[in-house]
Amino acid sequence: MDGHLLLEVVTPQRKVFSAEVSELSFPTAHRGYYGILPGHTPVMTPVGDGLITYIQNGQKLLLTVFGGFAEVGPDRVTILARESETPEMLDAAALEIARQEAQKRLKEAQDPLAIATAQADLDATGIRFQALGQTL
Amino acid sequence: MASIQDIRRRIRSVKNTQQVTKAMKMISAVKLRKSQDRLVALRPYATKLHEVVERVVTRFEAGSQVPTSVLAQAFLAPREEQQIRVVVVASDKGLCGGFNANLLKAADVFYREKGSLVAHLDVVGKRASDWARKHQHPVAAEFVQIGLPDLLKVAQEIAEGATGQYARGEIDALYVVHNYFHSALSQGPKVIKVFPMAFEATPEAKPEVSHLLEPDPNSVLESLLPRFIESEVYRALIESSASEHAARMSSMDKASSNAQEMIDKLTLNMNKVRQAAITNQIIEIVSGAAS
Repeated sequence: MDGHLLLEVVTPQRKVFSAEVSELSFPTAHRGYYGILPGHTPVMTPVGDGLITYIQNGQKLLLTVFGGFAEVGPDRVTILARESETPEMLDAAALEIARQEAQKRLKEAQDPLAIATAQADLDATGIRFQALGQTL
Repeated sequence: MASIQDIRRRIRSVKNTQQVTKAMKMISAVKLRKSQDRLVALRPYATKLHEVVERVVTRFEAGSQVPTSVLAQAFLAPREEQQIRVVVVASDKGLCGGFNANLLKAADVFYREKGSLVAHLDVVGKRASDWARKHQHPVAAEFVQIGLPDLLKVAQEIAEGATGQYARGEIDALYVVHNYFHSALSQGPKVIKVFPMAFEATPEAKPEVSHLLEPDPNSVLESLLPRFIESEVYRALIESSASEHAARMSSMDKASSNAQEMIDKLTLNMNKVRQAAITNQIIEIVSGAAS
């Protein structure tokens, strides 16, 4: 089906992204990715952690997303994310520091909760690095 | 009558105070702008989320298959209020007019009505925690000295906690007592019920498209609930922060103009005293020459 999708990504902090795209996919909370083309059936689904991939003017681009909610309509996709960034918003140097810090905490962590949060932070920096890698 | 020197000293000290209040007013104006920016930034998210929740909920009211999980029921068929969780949001610092006093008065009124139901009390801000201590309300969690960027984390913590408690049947409702922000000139205390929420069935609620709920209605509603609470609590926190700065700004403005008035009065007084001294001297010289 020919046409365009309006992709909007908003977080409580800011409006991250709003533009026409021709195709996108986002991670779901229950494992796996959801691929959306124009004219998709209306769907609502929780969003997981990972990368949103979208195609704009034939170019494949990325956004990070950490939890939230997606509302899919035939001509628009709205993602209400807990956190989300475009690669331009990320800083490789700050990420490297965050990663080392998370690794250190993971090594030192004792109780299961601390281990889980450290692991989650480490995974989050991994996802952000992936988003940067695509554009570098 | 005070001597010229004394009056001069008074004027100088009032001027110093005025400088301080002017500076505080300026700082509050900047902070108010920052809080307001956050409030504006949150608005698209909150509106969208409201829309989504409303669409899902109205759909179930019309539809047949009703989700059964406890959390999903929070949207549709709220339990009777037996135990509630309350969040009281005040500020850490004073010098902001009636901001804290009015809020805590509202919290007292709330306690008089529903105090016996409160099972879990959170306080945000030092003033609120002092208030709880004074009235010997047991506090479950205390959030003090929280900067603007960390408010979201507080909201997330409260939302997750409250969702879990609702699922375990420990609370039936969540209330927030905070200062709402209407404009830079008008703020006031307000009690909001975050959930369970009552959606008035809007007549123009068009059941245009019925969305598929993936993977199933229960998990959709379950993951919507904490998001919804989080955004409501976050908004309450930011509104309170904006109100605090607005209140401080206007009270510091008033203090500055009071100081100016005082300086004017003292200056007038000083000139009178000086004039009297000069007149005295002239009289002395004239009467001396005449004799």
